[in-house]
Amino acid sequence: MIEIKLVVNEKPYTLNVEPSERLIDALRNRLGLLGTKEGCGEGECGACTIIMDGKTVNSCLVLAAQANGSVLTTIEGVGNRRSPHPVQKAFVEVGAVQCGFCTPGMVLSAKNLLDKNSHPSETEIGIAMSGNLCRCTGYDKILRAVKIAAEEGKQ
Amino acid sequence: MKTSVVGSRVTREDAWGKVFGQTKFPADVNLPGQLYAVVIRSPHPHARVLSINSDYALEMAGVVAVLSAKDVPHNAHGVLFRDQPVLAEYVRMVGDPVAVVGAETEEIAREAAKRVQVEYEVLPTVFDPEEAMKPDVLPLHPSLRPTNVLYHMPIRRGSMEEGWAKADVVIEKEYNTQHVDHAFLQPEAVLAYLDERGHLVVQTATQYAHYDRGEIAHALGLRFSQVQVKTLAVGGAFGGREDISLQVIAALMAWKTLRPVKMENTREESFYSHSKRHPMRMQYKTGATKDGKLVAMEAKIVGDSGAYASWSINVLRKAAVHATGPYVIPNVSIDSYAVFTNNPFSGAMRGFGAAQTVLAYESQMDLLAKEIGISPLEIRLRNIFKVGSTTATGQVLTSSVPLDQCLAKITPYLQRGGESE
Repeated sequence: MIEIKLVVNEKPYTLNVEPSERLIDALRNRLGLLGTKEGCGEGECGACTIIMDGKTVNSCLVLAAQANGSVLTTIEGVGNRRSPHPVQKAFVEVGAVQCGFCTPGMVLSAKNLLDKNSHPSETEIGIAMSGNLCRCTGYDKILRAVKIAAEEGKQ
Repeated sequence: MKTSVVGSRVTREDAWGKVFGQTKFPADVNLPGQLYAVVIRSPHPHARVLSINSDYALEMAGVVAVLSAKDVPHNAHGVLFRDQPVLAEYVRMVGDPVAVVGAETEEIAREAAKRVQVEYEVLPTVFDPEEAMKPDVLPLHPSLRPTNVLYHMPIRRGSMEEGWAKADVVIEKEYNTQHVDHAFLQPEAVLAYLDERGHLVVQTATQYAHYDRGEIAHALGLRFSQVQVKTLAVGGAFGGREDISLQVIAALMAWKTLRPVKMENTREESFYSHSKRHPMRMQYKTGATKDGKLVAMEAKIVGDSGAYASWSINVLRKAAVHATGPYVIPNVSIDSYAVFTNNPFSGAMRGFGAAQTVLAYESQMDLLAKEIGISPLEIRLRNIFKVGSTTATGQVLTSSVPLDQCLAKITPYLQRGGESE
């Protein structure tokens, strides 16, 4: 076992993890953060996207031990029913949510884009969301929701 | 008529839970003391299981049970016919489940699954449906059908002789479509357990909770009232969750071990364990007059059902019914077949048989237009269904046929040569 220290959703944790343990498994099984989804296990679908030290990563491709010393944000650390993040509000209002399995990853990719670039172009939005697959094929509304969230942020 | 719902914007009730990551999909539910179960699948497309040696698996610490066909009271399931084994003794496709390991952790279960030794007698295979439908090819389901032809749907309208006599232009072509996987984003997962009543509870993502309950009860020899299926959030389905997948296997393991049982497919296992879109071979012969009026069409559609029937009959029926496309053709002869092969089984997927024939009939329209020397739009305008039209099956369309409005709307786009404004 390896001892790691990390901050998840602004809370510090010390965990003992297996050398081969993936970050997604540590988040889901050890911390009970089940909003991070596993769709493919090989970094294709983006359902397991989290924000790690300001970058979006596929948590199925990161070892838990590699997150030692990192600051992570999962979907549980973004918004709530009293005050949803503009991205979450826009996803609901536009109808960008269908089956919902890709949604947490989509929200985190969009949030991270807007954190870094509050005035993204359509191309920049497209690039930021390109690592997240939606098999319900709701891309048009997803991209529109990100655009609306960006515009709301500008006001 | 004015209503408060139609035409107004309504927020999905489940959307908020999904944007906060609170929605529970089947992989997100767990119970204390649960076992993990992993399926051992056949690498052969056609084989008889001669023996299963689970001694090396059971030697491992943490392995609780290895179950196979002999442990299933009624070893069959299927939506139209119960032609699919829960755990196979006789394998008809790559990926057929032959055994299942239950262990204390997923890691142990996966390792133990590798140690289960299955001895197969490999049998001859048939992968081409047109080959498979020949009367002298051995049938894959002799108790269901004497040959591999599961279904034949003939449609006849008018007189082919008269139709071809009127045709100035005839186009004859073959079109083929391929297997397609639904690839819903959430891989299959199940939690099965016995509750305080001794009833079997199965939590899963399914398109057919009531149907799954019947299949589980049948396979395990239980009453309907002893089985409860709870549908959690469904992470995409598109037809791929109409057939049951892991539900019976997880229920069986829970029933045998009296422990809660969790199963989660990897993406690769998911590809093996659910249906595919039917590949279809479509031979089309379509005739029109020189002013672009369709007069005759002959089509032979062969759908590859793969190893099991699933919804093949309904799918190939729908392919036949839609084979002319939305066009009036007075003389029609259509033959649609569903055929068993050793390919992965085909079932429901978005369009349910209506999607494949589009490739054939619309390509035929474009080729006819080119041959006659009119535009692709013009040939469609001259033949589309309208209110009062009669389809190839003899149905008279009495309402809701707005195809003329649809074409009018896209006409400017087509006149620009398919370029956006």
